[in-house]
Amino acid sequence: MTALDNLLLISAVTLVIAVLAGNSRVGGWLVTIMYALQGAALMMMSGLGYSTLTMVQSSFSIEVLSQQLLWRFDALSWFFALITIGAGLFCSWFASGEWGEKYRDNGGSLRLFHGALALNVFSMLVLLASGDLLTLFIGWELVSWASFLIMALAGGKAFGYAMRYISYAFAGAMALLGGLLLIYAEVGSFDFQSLKEAVPTMSSATLWLLVVLLTAGFGVKMAILPFHLWQAKAYAETPGPGAAFLGAISSRMGLFAFIVVIVQLIGISRLVEMKIPFTFLDAQDLLAWIAVFTIIIPTYIALRQHDARRLLAWHGVGQTGYMLLGIVIANDLGSAGGLMHVFNYATYQAMLFMVVIAVIHRTGTSNLNKLGGLFTRMPLSYLAMLVGIIGLAGLPPMNGFVSKWLIYRSLIVDGSPLLFLGAVIGTLGTILSVYKLIHNIFLGQLRVEHVAVREAPLSMVIPMMLLAAVVFVTGYFPGLVLDWTSAVQASIGIPVLAHHLGGIDMKGGLDMIWIVSVLLVGFGFGTLVFFLGGRSKRVHQLDNYAGGHFLTAETRYHYSDNFYPGLMHLIGPWYRNSFEWLERGLISAVDTLSTAMQGLYRNAHPSYLLLAVVVFALSWVIV
Amino acid sequence: MHFFELLVELLLMPILAFVIGLAMVLMMRRIGARIQRRVGPPVLQPIYDIIKLYSKETQISHGLMHEIGIIMAVGGYIAAETLLPVPGLDGLADKGGAVTLAYMLMIPALGMALGVGQCANPNGSIGISRALTAMLAYDIPFILVIFGVSYVYGTTNLAEMITIQQQQGVASWGIVQMPLLALTALLILPAIMGKHPFEIYVAPAEIATGPMVEMSGKFMGGLFVMQCFQLYTAGVIFTTLFLGGGLYWITFLPKIFLVVAIPMSVAYLFPRYRTEDVLRLMWKWPMLLGLIGLAVVMK
Repeated sequence: MTALDNLLLISAVTLVIAVLAGNSRVGGWLVTIMYALQGAALMMMSGLGYSTLTMVQSSFSIEVLSQQLLWRFDALSWFFALITIGAGLFCSWFASGEWGEKYRDNGGSLRLFHGALALNVFSMLVLLASGDLLTLFIGWELVSWASFLIMALAGGKAFGYAMRYISYAFAGAMALLGGLLLIYAEVGSFDFQSLKEAVPTMSSATLWLLVVLLTAGFGVKMAILPFHLWQAKAYAETPGPGAAFLGAISSRMGLFAFIVVIVQLIGISRLVEMKIPFTFLDAQDLLAWIAVFTIIIPTYIALRQHDARRLLAWHGVGQTGYMLLGIVIANDLGSAGGLMHVFNYATYQAMLFMVVIAVIHRTGTSNLNKLGGLFTRMPLSYLAMLVGIIGLAGLPPMNGFVSKWLIYRSLIVDGSPLLFLGAVIGTLGTILSVYKLIHNIFLGQLRVEHVAVREAPLSMVIPMMLLAAVVFVTGYFPGLVLDWTSAVQASIGIPVLAHHLGGIDMKGGLDMIWIVSVLLVGFGFGTLVFFLGGRSKRVHQLDNYAGGHFLTAETRYHYSDNFYPGLMHLIGPWYRNSFEWLERGLISAVDTLSTAMQGLYRNAHPSYLLLAVVVFALSWVIV
Repeated sequence: MHFFELLVELLLMPILAFVIGLAMVLMMRRIGARIQRRVGPPVLQPIYDIIKLYSKETQISHGLMHEIGIIMAVGGYIAAETLLPVPGLDGLADKGGAVTLAYMLMIPALGMALGVGQCANPNGSIGISRALTAMLAYDIPFILVIFGVSYVYGTTNLAEMITIQQQQGVASWGIVQMPLLALTALLILPAIMGKHPFEIYVAPAEIATGPMVEMSGKFMGGLFVMQCFQLYTAGVIFTTLFLGGGLYWITFLPKIFLVVAIPMSVAYLFPRYRTEDVLRLMWKWPMLLGLIGLAVVMK
């Protein structure tokens, strides 16, 4: 039994416990403890995260088509597994208390919920452990179906969105399968090493086909443009903490596979050699531009959402772009930033979803136009959301700033002003959008019906607070995460970023220990300056100046709908739903085609078919 | 010993910034007065104002976040000043460069936005929505400038940029090497400082001074202090990027005052732009100039 066997076994046992005991009162807590055990098993392999171990094999393997199927963990798998299990642990913890009881009272099956969550974690671990292209494909399919299961749990509208996801996932899997078959035809093996050795001798056309097929296959899961439509709605409708889990890590599996196959095996340097005819671009530039558009477009779609979960889910699509961008740039700074962003993003996205779910738990809605002023009622949730949005917007002192800084810095080193501009446009849009999120939920006027709202229960607040602590601490000491990303860089063969606990040393480097300390001291002095002034008097929220109007609880006078009219006046007409239109066009094309085929097979006179077959057969025989 | 010197520097930098910022506020008001054929305030007026605001009897607080917002606005600037190297004081310039500074400067804006949000005054929220939109407008060309300058000097470290410009003389100053980027920065400077003609988010007649509507006493005082820092920061950043910074205060001070004075003198002549027109303007001319400037420096 190797350490990896232990981990996968514990994960499978978690699944069994979730299915058997999920509905019982202590079921959720049992499963949560099992996730903690999975974390402990992962820690037994922590050498992978610090470059003291290179690989942990699983003793389980099978032989198919004279191919040895292997499962193993390296630094990359370990890093992603850490996030996966962490997300599973916190989400299951969140679901085990009052949320679970309410879910069951409303007719939901906790057995199914915990089972689906555990299945997701298990299948992701299997995917992360894949040791060759065939096991990668098996893991890929497992993950796809597991996410479908958890997305479809809520039924109704959610089922429709889940079906949309699975159609996309099918198309992606077909592209991936095509890519794998192409590899098998060219290389004659599904082995990682043989592919890597065969890449230098492959023709440019084959390689292009391969890169397009694989990027499309993995891109569907990542929801990069133009495959971004399915994700936000499907994630947003997933029940409660399931949304937090999917938002935090699920679509990162696409990024994992992308790193394994495109970055590690084909290599970014090979992509640079693949020029696009009649342009200045090569395959790397193309991917970087896809990443930048994946940042910008979904972020500005998020800006227009009225539902807190949709808004967050759309940001999730946008943030994927940063990770992909950093990894495609592939210098030491960029890839460290991209990988670190996977971790950072998972921490604050899970937390933000949890806050929104806590708000739904207490108020029954996540409609941004029907909330407001909850800060006085749910201060701890507010604190968690504040930490989360500072992280999501990528401002100091939270961890999101460090990873985005690394990506920006890599673009300056790389000399790509337009990519840089695109990344910053995304960040600015995020700031606008997250301010709207926190303002419309927690600031502004408190509605009459929410006066009696209480803080979320401890089972929800504690995971949120722990995640907030992680977001802050890894922002204060980014070296903690950069250790792991360095191990990953070393294992996938990218230049390793030299770093220390506080950041990196270079011309124009970053030391977060100093930056955050000085910021905290600055706030301290700000407090001193503030209390130099006289005493202030707290007043009721309606006791304020409205230019001659009288504010009362009966007449809502709250500013939330269409929060940025000035901006929308200018950029509003740019939202044309082109991709929705494209998707509909594609659907009707397939529809027409299948109707035509159906007509041919079922309705047209069979004798014509017979004639056609005979003519064809004759001509084949004669010619 | 070196550590304590650094601590003294870190303490000194915000204090200097505040004092110079006060003088800049005075200058700005005097320029405005002269253009409108008034005499303008006496020399110590900014100090009187701050004392008056902090010692007001009626001070209305709308809750904890209202107070924390003001603390973040002032504290964020105090921290940001330590990243801005000035003659004799490098502070934390090597611990976080231009990009870090650009993002640090959003902390006070966020603090103020959160504080205003807590006030539950619709006018305040409208003001913040306009202010954030204006930030989106000017930050895009601003980031082009930051990129271009960092690319030309080969570093994001502001102290190193000053050293390079000081050692190689006026010919190596940013304004000579990249005049188009300097012009871009000059065009967006009034917006960064939140002044005419880009201050529609204040709009006294329409939305009752927007973000400031619920600010009384020390809350307003905090925003006044923030304004001092804001003017100073804008002046120093431009001087550092394009005018060679300064080895001595005697050469440095005229530069930063000049940088603040130019846009102020021009800006008072224009009426306010509407929010969407701010966007249109910022995304057209400064962007165009900035992109051409970038193309020139990157060849």
